[in-house]
Amino acid sequence: MKHARVLFNGSALDVTVEADGQLKSKTDGQLINEADVTWLCPVEAPGTIFALGLNYADHAAELAFEPPKEPLVFLKGANTLTGHKQNAYRPDNIEFQHYECELVAVIGKEGKNISREDAMDYISGYTVCNDFAIRDYLENYYRPNLRVKSRDSLCPIGPWLIDKEDVGDITNLKLTTHVNGELTQEGTTADIIFDLPFLVEYLSKIMTLKPGDMIATGTPKGLKDMQPGDTVVCEIEKVGALVTHIVSEQTFYGDKY
Amino acid sequence: MSKNPIVKGKLVCVALNDAEQFNAMQAEFAEAPYKGAPQQPVLYFKPHNTWSTDGAVVEWAQVDGSPAEQMVVGASLAVVFGKECCRVSEAEALDYVEGYTLVHDFSLVEQNYYRPDIKGKCLDTSAPIGADVVAVADPQALTVVTSVNGMVVNETPVSQLVRGVAELISTISYIMTLQPGDVIAVGFPGQRAPVAPGDKVHSVIDGVTELNNTLGQ
Repeated sequence: MKHARVLFNGSALDVTVEADGQLKSKTDGQLINEADVTWLCPVEAPGTIFALGLNYADHAAELAFEPPKEPLVFLKGANTLTGHKQNAYRPDNIEFQHYECELVAVIGKEGKNISREDAMDYISGYTVCNDFAIRDYLENYYRPNLRVKSRDSLCPIGPWLIDKEDVGDITNLKLTTHVNGELTQEGTTADIIFDLPFLVEYLSKIMTLKPGDMIATGTPKGLKDMQPGDTVVCEIEKVGALVTHIVSEQTFYGDKY
Repeated sequence: MSKNPIVKGKLVCVALNDAEQFNAMQAEFAEAPYKGAPQQPVLYFKPHNTWSTDGAVVEWAQVDGSPAEQMVVGASLAVVFGKECCRVSEAEALDYVEGYTLVHDFSLVEQNYYRPDIKGKCLDTSAPIGADVVAVADPQALTVVTSVNGMVVNETPVSQLVRGVAELISTISYIMTLQPGDVIAVGFPGQRAPVAPGDKVHSVIDGVTELNNTLGQ
């Protein structure tokens, strides 16, 4: 089942996404057209957002890094999250901002010291995120630093959370990114260096994982600069296709610019 | 979600903001992997599993299944936001603050600052946040004093920070919108104090608030 959250008539609503694409209210079963809603982050109470750097062998090579011997994990603030078909902004006066199409696993059960063998019991489902990066802002302190990776709107997520049973095996899912219709990134989760069971074991040895925590598992190669006006579609086989519109900083912030 | 009633969304901490430490590290900053002193505030999150309270017992860290050889603590003045704070100037920054409290950051020994220190900083219960949120006219005039088992180990005047409270609020508010219940810990002493299992850690800002924690076994 696909679980989503949308704004409908001014209120947040939990819905399921039906086979024909219609949305069905979990409250009263009402069927709603997608055209009448604004998509929200599918996780109602986002907890810790873990993201992986350099976790695809081909991407690490693209950035001229040796594949890491230990996972490169960083944290993102919930301010970064925005829903499907929403705007994300390009900061003023930068040279290079790229998308990162990532498979996200959502934790469904609290746990600590979880073994690799039990890891999948703690996952409720999957979604897609676009973990944008602004390379101009990288500094060699806690890299990738919060200025690069914790900006408002720069981690679109969705469209929905799909139950893990509906996806099954995640070790060879195709990932693609299209910018304005052109294929710019293509890879497979088969190239992941540290797989999800490893990451659950690794993180839960350090800390308690809780429902609503998310692990964004990294991105394959295929970087491209983004400009206002661009539309980016990050798609993962069996999971979903996440659409994001790039706007200028001024357009995004409006009166607060 | 939170075991602490004050912090609701984000706990943002500022590293390398003690001027004494910052100046002493200049030669190290010039070398690999840093290749230059930080140009921006060095920020990290303490995520929600770390949040705990005044009076709480802080778990002694486990590293690969064995008790950690060493933990350290630093205390910081903490800014608690009372309203949404997005892209504000330094001049207006303090208007968004509900009040001030203390944060203890318990961690493993800081080895280096190149990669995010998930292993060292994200330990369960390692970020106790004070019980009181107190209005203060001039946060730059405050001093944080930390004692371990009754012995003073650190005394950090906020005026000694590389970047002050208003500047940090402004800079961070251009990166991420801060919400009511978000907290910024503005700066820790460069020399974090070593602690042992069972130690009692006490920090105080005179006339404002205090924070007491005990290390677990």
